[in-house]
Amino acid sequence: MEWVILGIVLVLIVWLVVIYNRLVTLRQVTGQAWSDVDVQLKQRHDLIPNLVETVKGYAAHERQTLDAVIQARNAAVAAQAQGPAAAGPAEGALGAALGRLFALSEAYPDLKANQNFLSLQAELADIENKIAAARRFYNSSVAEYNAMTESIPAVFFARALGFQQRGFFEIPEAERGAVQAAPQVRFS
Amino acid sequence: MRAVGLRTHAWNTAWRSALLIAGFPLLLAVTALGLGLIIGPEQRDLGRAFAEALGNLPLLYALCWGVALVWFAIAWVAHNRILDWASGAHPVTRSEEPRLWNLTENLCISRGMRMPRLAVIETPALNAFAAGLSRQTGSVTVTRGLMEALDDRELAAVLAHELSHIRNGDARLGLIAAVFVGVISLGFEMMARGTRAARASGGWRRSGGGGSRQGNAAALIGVLIIAAAWLLSMVLRMALSRNREFLADAGAVEMTADPDAMISALRKVEGRADMPEVPSQLRALFLEDASDSALSSLMATHPPIPARIEALVRFAGGRDPGPIALAPAAEETPASAQAEPGADETVRITPSPAGAPWWRGPARPEAPGGRSPWAPRG
Repeated sequence: MEWVILGIVLVLIVWLVVIYNRLVTLRQVTGQAWSDVDVQLKQRHDLIPNLVETVKGYAAHERQTLDAVIQARNAAVAAQAQGPAAAGPAEGALGAALGRLFALSEAYPDLKANQNFLSLQAELADIENKIAAARRFYNSSVAEYNAMTESIPAVFFARALGFQQRGFFEIPEAERGAVQAAPQVRFS
Repeated sequence: MRAVGLRTHAWNTAWRSALLIAGFPLLLAVTALGLGLIIGPEQRDLGRAFAEALGNLPLLYALCWGVALVWFAIAWVAHNRILDWASGAHPVTRSEEPRLWNLTENLCISRGMRMPRLAVIETPALNAFAAGLSRQTGSVTVTRGLMEALDDRELAAVLAHELSHIRNGDARLGLIAAVFVGVISLGFEMMARGTRAARASGGWRRSGGGGSRQGNAAALIGVLIIAAAWLLSMVLRMALSRNREFLADAGAVEMTADPDAMISALRKVEGRADMPEVPSQLRALFLEDASDSALSSLMATHPPIPARIEALVRFAGGRDPGPIALAPAAEETPASAQAEPGADETVRITPSPAGAPWWRGPARPEAPGGRSPWAPRG
């Protein structure tokens, strides 16, 4: 009888250890997924000063739009350091400002013909695609991690052991993909 | 436990693989029992024949294991040479294939892996495989067609898939499964030959004068048992191979954090992976085994591509663009257009690396628009 009880206790301990290790792994995965998003966001932010400089050369008097982009970019850089929950709306605002910038470029044929501008636009669109993919991967790993912390038996000890729930990285739908909607340009 | 995401999906798959692996020693024991029934002196009384076979089981089982271990040792030594010879791949260096090399190296650095040996098969088919019995001796082989048809993100996803195979030790697992199947089919062959020889010599372990029909009853059951074990071991091996593909897909998405790239790479490979010149024994190692479609799903080495994509969509938040038609000159179509058929407003630009102050990487006109986070940034 004692052996049976001992066996049950042993199995329980092993089970709890497995659950704990899985929580650690899932937390690790969400951390890695966020750092992948982080890298892409940083690349996006680094492109914007170049873009603004290029546009300035053709449309210097569009000060308001350019300042809005720079401001949104600085806000996004600041929000990025605060984590996914804060970065989402800031990135959305940046996307909206960029959208206005690209809409403005329609009025300047010389700007639209500038190789530098075009390659910046293409690179931004490419980065947006990567951010979108990395964001979905991050969100699905957060969903998995959060579900694990809420399931029995983890729900009894997860919070006490420091497994806090993580926030999703959501960009407001209306402002997403402002760059993808850029006008059609063909060189061939 | 129910899968709620990529990681739990991978855990469940790994657990299923462990169960499948555990099936092999069991089947080996069944084979040993069958052998015991065939070679046992008592053939008429089934009950006594079984009792005798069970008594001989430990010895026969140990013998089977001995054969398996010797076989495994030989396969371990010769494995790499056989692979090189059979696949017709040639190793490449960094200066020969900088794009392939850089993508692989960046993935390895990001996960602290040792750089595998890289090789290329000169064929227009789209495929890739990983080999290497330990994490230190890994090698990744891709086809020329794959490198040309996939953009940087997709190629990185495929490389991550192959690196996951190395990380998971799938080549070793496949070898273990192959050896078990080999030993069991050796038993099958031996017994088939033995009965034929016995029939030729006109009487084999026949104890009585007229008991030939009845006397073979135990042997017949043994034959059936071994045949069943052989078939089951093949099914187990294929199920294991399919399981590991799901696991490697999950690992690849974890490495690149880009489910879309893995999905669109699979979509491009779909239907273009056929390499008839490669021996069938080798195909289980590849990214996709096109010959599977002809066989029943029970004997396929790879899960069907739609099933793999469905797993990626469900567990990794990926988006499936649907089947992709490859343009004759795939390199000229921008990646965004191929990944998202809905976005018809394509921006077709040839970037001029020299004119962009923020682009300090090497000029690579053959790969426009495919600048990935893993590409060198000066």
